[in-house]
Amino acid sequence: MYSIRTKLNVSIISTLIVVLSFTAVFLHTRIKNHVVEVYDSALYDKSQALISLTELDEEGLEFDFAEDGVMTEFLGGDSPEYYQLWENGERLLIKSPSLGESDLPYTGTAEKKHRTADILLPDGRNGRLIEINFMPRVEVDEEDMAGLSELPQPKLITLVLARERVSLNKTLFAIRFTIIAVIITVLMVSTLLIWYLIGRGLIPLSSLAQQVSGIDESSLHARVQNEGGQIEEIAPIQYQLNHLLERLQSAFEREKRFSSNVAHELRTPMSELRTLAEVGQMVPDDPKQISAFFTDVGEISRQMENIVTTLLELTRSEAGLLRSDPEDIELSRFCDGVWMQAVNGMDACKQLVRQIPADLIVSTDREKLGMILKNLFINAVSYSPEQAEIQLSTELQNNQVMLSVKNIASDLKPEDLVYMKDRFWRKDKAKGDQNHSGLGLTLVEALARILQLDVHLSLDNNNVFIVTISGFHVVAN
Amino acid sequence: MKLLLVEDSVRLQRSLASGLKQQGFTVDQAFDGEEALEFLKVNKYDAIVLDLILPKVDGLTVLARLRANGSDSHVLILSANDQTEDRIRGLDLGADDYMVKPFSFDELVSRLKALNRRRSGVKNPVLEIDGVRIDSVSRIVSFNDLTIALTRHEYELLEFLVRRRGRVFSHDQLIDQLYDASSYVTRNAVEAHISSLRKRLKATGAPSLVKTRRGFGYLVE
Repeated sequence: MYSIRTKLNVSIISTLIVVLSFTAVFLHTRIKNHVVEVYDSALYDKSQALISLTELDEEGLEFDFAEDGVMTEFLGGDSPEYYQLWENGERLLIKSPSLGESDLPYTGTAEKKHRTADILLPDGRNGRLIEINFMPRVEVDEEDMAGLSELPQPKLITLVLARERVSLNKTLFAIRFTIIAVIITVLMVSTLLIWYLIGRGLIPLSSLAQQVSGIDESSLHARVQNEGGQIEEIAPIQYQLNHLLERLQSAFEREKRFSSNVAHELRTPMSELRTLAEVGQMVPDDPKQISAFFTDVGEISRQMENIVTTLLELTRSEAGLLRSDPEDIELSRFCDGVWMQAVNGMDACKQLVRQIPADLIVSTDREKLGMILKNLFINAVSYSPEQAEIQLSTELQNNQVMLSVKNIASDLKPEDLVYMKDRFWRKDKAKGDQNHSGLGLTLVEALARILQLDVHLSLDNNNVFIVTISGFHVVAN
Repeated sequence: MKLLLVEDSVRLQRSLASGLKQQGFTVDQAFDGEEALEFLKVNKYDAIVLDLILPKVDGLTVLARLRANGSDSHVLILSANDQTEDRIRGLDLGADDYMVKPFSFDELVSRLKALNRRRSGVKNPVLEIDGVRIDSVSRIVSFNDLTIALTRHEYELLEFLVRRRGRVFSHDQLIDQLYDASSYVTRNAVEAHISSLRKRLKATGAPSLVKTRRGFGYLVE
């Protein structure tokens, strides 16, 4: 695991080091070249001065710069300069007194060309030289010219002029030092600024991480905030996280409700059985009570059997083991038959008001539709007020039939509709009626899915609960 | 020991009430929260066995109202809810014990007896007074190693008075303690039990223990 902040810092600072290094090298090279150029230019100017002081007259070559007191820097002293001149590159014409026995190097350059180079001066200092070829100026007076048969012919002269380059080196060193100092300073300030700015920039992300790491199963109601305003990059993460949290919270609550409901639906009959067994052993000589206990045990067993059977059906349906086996069903007559089965054995005196065309035939699985309707009828009868009517009607839409079961459900609230298909959900968990376990609508939904039917629950303003099953294929109408 | 059993399952009510009566408890039965509150208005109970999921008024509301009215009856919650937060909520509202369904009937009885001992301040399940030994677990009364055969009501009467030594109880208070709300009992029945109890104690040479305070009632000194 690595830190984004560290990684960004390292990447940016490394890049900065490389860029600044190249910049420094480039700058140094450019400045050094320029300074050396200026230095060489000064050397060149001086060589031109020497050249202008070299003339050829009727007496031969004259080097005015070599005269006493003209250019004392060539004489010697603390920081002497040097020159040496050759004719045609062969014959030494003159050299500065500062050279003494030493010579300056001669390489030979083309006419009107010059060359500059570094050199180790005779006195051991680093120096810079310029080698330049020139034709001496011919200077003959008119009076003298008359006595000459021909003008003296100038020959190519090579001048090598050398001087120390300590000042140049000092300047270059100062430039180099300044560049390095500036680069290091810029780098240090940039590093600090980058570290700080990246840290500031990553605050929303850190805040997000902090918020997320503070969430556990006990705080699933918490939502991630986009601190520091609506940040474009954080907004989608925040939205998705909150959406995920909502779903997780809902799943946890559903799971909790399920556990609580299972606990109630299964633990209570188990308690009843256990108490009946334990108390029954205490009254072995009371046949009346023992008989009543056995009756209770029978009822509890049937109740638990119903729960287990329904759960098995649900499991089989979820595992895809249940298949639809459609056949043509005369809906009106079929509903009557299921109604009779459903209310058989129930104490309630309720009436089914049926509005289904007698000749309506649909194609679906008879057994599964029977289970669906039986569950709906039992629920409608159980949870509607005494003497209430249960209404059953159909509606034809696009060659598909929509079947509705309606009953008054006074206790039901619109918010209950969300949970009604959950396993073991019951409006009132208190066991006034032990024939219900809260699995009926879950099974209805599962079976309807197999039959490719949609189950929709609604509650109108008069507290009439309506279960609508849509998607029946009409065979004849 | 007088109990109010609040449970909406008819079958569990039936078997529990039967078993508890067998164990010598006096049991009133309420099938919903509203009925429980009605019972609590007119009767005083040593303990209340309370389910949480009840029709009309839920168990926690019953418990809260009971405590708000200043009742010090012990409350044992008997619920299918097994989550820690359910237990904490119940105990925080003033319950004395919490049992999760399914449960052992014997354990329920033991816990109720333990609550009763806590109520009387006597932790030892065996009470002894003037050589008379009352084992509240086996419900056997003896004197000098001789067992004294008592009926259920005689035993209940003796244990009740011994646990509350020095306090005088009227006929009505004793009827209330010994019989459930559905029984119709006259004060003669109490006098008959007291008389029979004294005789049985005397028959083994034990002191009669139960004294009469004329105009007030009975006590064990």
